[in-house]
Amino acid sequence: MSEQSVVLRRQGLGSVFQALVPYIVAVIASFAAAGIVLAVMGFNVPRAYATILFTSFRTPNGIIQTLIKFVPLVLQALAFTIPLAAGKFNIGGEGQLIAGAIGATTVGIMLAGWPAPLLLPLVLLGGIVMGALWILLPAWLLYRFSINEILTTVLMNFVAFELIDYVATNIWPDPVAGHPTTIPIGAGGFLPRLIQQPPLHAGLLIAIFIAILVYFYTDHTSAGYELVATGANARASRVYGINVRNIFFLSLLLGGAIAGLSGAIEVAGVHHRLIAGIQSNFLLLGLIIGLIAKGNHLAVPFVAFFIAVLEVGASAMQRTLMIPGEMVFIVEAFILLFVLLSDVVRRR
Amino acid sequence: MKQVSPPLLQLQGISKSFGPLLALKDVNLTIQHREIHGLLGGNGAGKTTLMNVLFGLYKPNAGQVILRGQTIHIQSPRDAIHHGIGMVHQHFLQVPHFTVVQNIVLGSRLHNRPTLNLTRATERIQDLCQRFGLEADPNAHIIDLPMGVRQRVEILKALYRGVDVLILDEPTTNLTPQEVDSLFESLQRMVAEGMSVVFITHKLREVMQVCDTISVLRAGEHQLTLPRTQVSEELIVRTMVGSDIDLDESILFAATAPQESSSSRTGPPVLDVQGLTLTAESNTPQVDDVSLQVHAGEIVGIAGVAGNGQQELLEAVLGIRTADRGQIRFQNEELGHCSTRDRLRRGIAYVPEDRVQDGILPTATIAQNSILGVHDRPPYSQHGILKWPIITQHAQHLIAEYHIQTQGAGQQAGNLSGGNLQRLILARALAQPIQLLILHNPTSGLDIPTVEQIYRQIRQRRQEGLAVLLVSDDLDELMLLSDRIAVLYRGALVGHLQQKDFDKYEIGRMMSGVYNHV
Repeated sequence: MSEQSVVLRRQGLGSVFQALVPYIVAVIASFAAAGIVLAVMGFNVPRAYATILFTSFRTPNGIIQTLIKFVPLVLQALAFTIPLAAGKFNIGGEGQLIAGAIGATTVGIMLAGWPAPLLLPLVLLGGIVMGALWILLPAWLLYRFSINEILTTVLMNFVAFELIDYVATNIWPDPVAGHPTTIPIGAGGFLPRLIQQPPLHAGLLIAIFIAILVYFYTDHTSAGYELVATGANARASRVYGINVRNIFFLSLLLGGAIAGLSGAIEVAGVHHRLIAGIQSNFLLLGLIIGLIAKGNHLAVPFVAFFIAVLEVGASAMQRTLMIPGEMVFIVEAFILLFVLLSDVVRRR
Repeated sequence: MKQVSPPLLQLQGISKSFGPLLALKDVNLTIQHREIHGLLGGNGAGKTTLMNVLFGLYKPNAGQVILRGQTIHIQSPRDAIHHGIGMVHQHFLQVPHFTVVQNIVLGSRLHNRPTLNLTRATERIQDLCQRFGLEADPNAHIIDLPMGVRQRVEILKALYRGVDVLILDEPTTNLTPQEVDSLFESLQRMVAEGMSVVFITHKLREVMQVCDTISVLRAGEHQLTLPRTQVSEELIVRTMVGSDIDLDESILFAATAPQESSSSRTGPPVLDVQGLTLTAESNTPQVDDVSLQVHAGEIVGIAGVAGNGQQELLEAVLGIRTADRGQIRFQNEELGHCSTRDRLRRGIAYVPEDRVQDGILPTATIAQNSILGVHDRPPYSQHGILKWPIITQHAQHLIAEYHIQTQGAGQQAGNLSGGNLQRLILARALAQPIQLLILHNPTSGLDIPTVEQIYRQIRQRRQEGLAVLLVSDDLDELMLLSDRIAVLYRGALVGHLQQKDFDKYEIGRMMSGVYNHV
C-alpha cells in the first residue's frame, strides 16, 4: 500500500490501469445485475442509469450536492480505514459523528456570541474531542481487557442515538421544529461558504486536507508505518519492537476524532444546528468506501467521490423516475461484493 | 523361476504444477516389495509433493499410479488408505486431549459405534506396538507425550489401517538421535513383515544408514534410483545439489571438522543471562533458571527437542515476554525493563523461528519489510518522516546482495518462497550494525544452496566478532556451527558441551532429560 506510488512511478500507467481493471469490471457487473432487477420491476433502465451517473455533472447544483455529500463520506470512510490499517474495526463511526455533532453544537450554542475566528475552531475542536471521547471507552476496553472493538463501537452507536434525542428535545430544543432539533449555533460557528449560490461550505477543504494528511501519515511517516505494520501482522510487529496495543488504542482514537469532526462539519457547514438523524447512512457508506478502497488511503477520496455521485444520482432518480433510491444501495453493495470477489478470483 | 511379479508400486510420468511453478516434471519412481526406499532431495525438490500426489492430497496434471501391476486412481487420502498406502506427515494432526487409542481409531471404521468400546482396538494397538517395537501407552493422553511418541502414534494410525506402503515425511525432524535409531529399528521390522516404507528426508546420513534403495529428486525431476550398496555419499550429494554449489568449499558437506573460533573469549560477555525464569499460567516454568553467556566472536548453540522453552527463552531475552526472575545484561548493561524496541536499538537482531507469523508483514511490500524494527531510525526515517527513496534503495540492495528472487522491492513479501523469505529476514538482521544475533531454526525448510549461504554468512559474521546465539532443532546444524552447545530440557539448561566434546548421542541423552552433570 505504502509505496505503491513508488511502484506505480516505476511501472507507469499500464499498471495503474491493470489495478483498476477489477474495479471497472465490478462496477459494470454491478450495474448490469441491478439493471436486471430494475427491468423486471418495469423501470426504464437506461434512463435510470443516466440519471444516477450524470446528475452530478449536469448542473452546478448537482456538482455542489455531490461535493457536500462527499465531505461526510470521505471522513466516515477514514474513521473506518485508519483503525482498519492497524487491523481494528471501528463500526461506531455514526455514534462518533453524533457525539461530534453534539460537541460542536454545545460549543456553538454556549459560546454563541463569540466571534468567528475563535468560535469556529472551537466548534470543530468540540466535535473532534467528543468523537475521540466517544470511542475512548471501546478503545480502553480493548487496550485493557482485549474486548472486541467491533461489538463495543457498535453498541456505543445506540447510546449516541438516545443522547442526540435527549439534547435535541430537552436541553436546547427548537420549539417550532416538528422534529427533534436544537436551536441554531452562533453565527460565528458557521463554516464560511466557498460558493454562495448554490451554497458550498468550506468543510470540503477540511475533508480534502484531512484525507491528504491521513495519506501522508499512513504512507510517509514512521508512526504510520507502525500502524500499517501492526495491521499487516501484529505478532511480527510486536516481535520487532512495535507496541501494538498502543497502536490499536491510538488508531481507534484517531478514527473517533475524524468521525467526530465529520459531525462537527455537518453542524457547522450544513445544518447550523443539531438534528436527530444527522448521521444519515454515512456509516454504512463509509464502510463500503473503505472496503472498496481496500484500506488504501490514496484511493479512499476517489472512491468516496464516486459513491457521492451515486448517492446524489439516486435521490434524483427517486424524484424524477419514482424509482426507490435504495436501488443505488443495492448497486453499491454489488460493487463491494464484486470487488471482494475479484480478490478471490485472483488468488485462485 | 516363474514370471517376475510386478513391483509393488510404480509412479509413472507424474507432473504437477502450481500456477506457473512446475513442481514435478515427468517423475518416475518404483517402490519394490519389502524395501525401505529413501527419497532424498533438498527442500523444494518435490519430494513431499510427489508423495502428496500418491496419497491423494494433490491431483497430478499428468501421470499414473500402478499398484501391483494395476493402474489405480487415488482421489483422496481415503482412497490411498483403501489401497494400502499410508502417510505420516511432518506436522501431525492429533487431538491433544484424546488418548492414543482414541486418536488412532478416529476416522477409522468402528464396529461398535454406539458403545464406543475400544477394548478390541486397544488390544490390536498393543499388538502392533509389540510387533514393530513402537513403544506407546494406548491410554496415555497425546498432550502428555513427547514428540517422539506422538510420531509413533501417527505411524500406528497408518499400521492400524493395515497399510502396505508407509510414507514418512521428514520423520526425524523432532527426534533425538536415540529416538531416530529406535524409529529405524521399527522400520526394519515393518519391512521384515512384508511392508514397504518410503522415507522422505533431506538428511543424507539417515538415508545411508537405513535405506535399501535411494532415489534423488532435484528441482522436481527424478535424478537417480540406485540400491544403497551402489552409491557413495559423494555421488548423492552431487546429484542433490547439482552444480549449484562448490562441494569443496561447502560447509554443509565438509568432511573435516569446523575450525575453532578465533575468539579468545576474554573480557565480559556480550550477552549475560543469569537465573532467567519465566513461569506460564500453569505454574510449570517455561524457562527455568537459565544462565548463559555469549561472547563476541562465538556461536553458542542451544539444542533441545522443539517445545522445551526455546522460543520462550529467546522472547524473554528480547523483552517480548516478561521474565519473572533473573537478569539479562547486554554489553555490561542491565536490560531490566527495557522494551523490545530499546533492546533492538542497542544492537540485538532476531531471526524468529516462525517466518510467516513472527518474521514478516505478508501483505506489505519487500521494501516495507526491509525496515521492520529499524523503521524509526535514520537513514530510513528522519524526524518521523519515512525516506522512501532510501528505503527502496536499501531493499534493492538487500535483494541483490542476498539473491532474493523477486521482481522488485515493491512486491508483496507474502509471495516470496520460504527460502527467499528467510534470506530477507536474515538480510534485514545483518544489514544493521549489531553485536548480538539471535537465530531460531534459521535454515529449517530451506534448500541446500540457501542453507550453505546462510551458514557462510553466520560464520563470516562470527569471524568479524559478532556474538551469535543459535537455537536449533537440528542437531547436525548445531554441531556444524557452534563453538559451544547447551541443551535445553523442560525450560532448563541441563548440559553444556565444548566443541571438542560434541557427541550426538550424549546431546541426545540430555535432550531427553537423561543427564548427569549440569
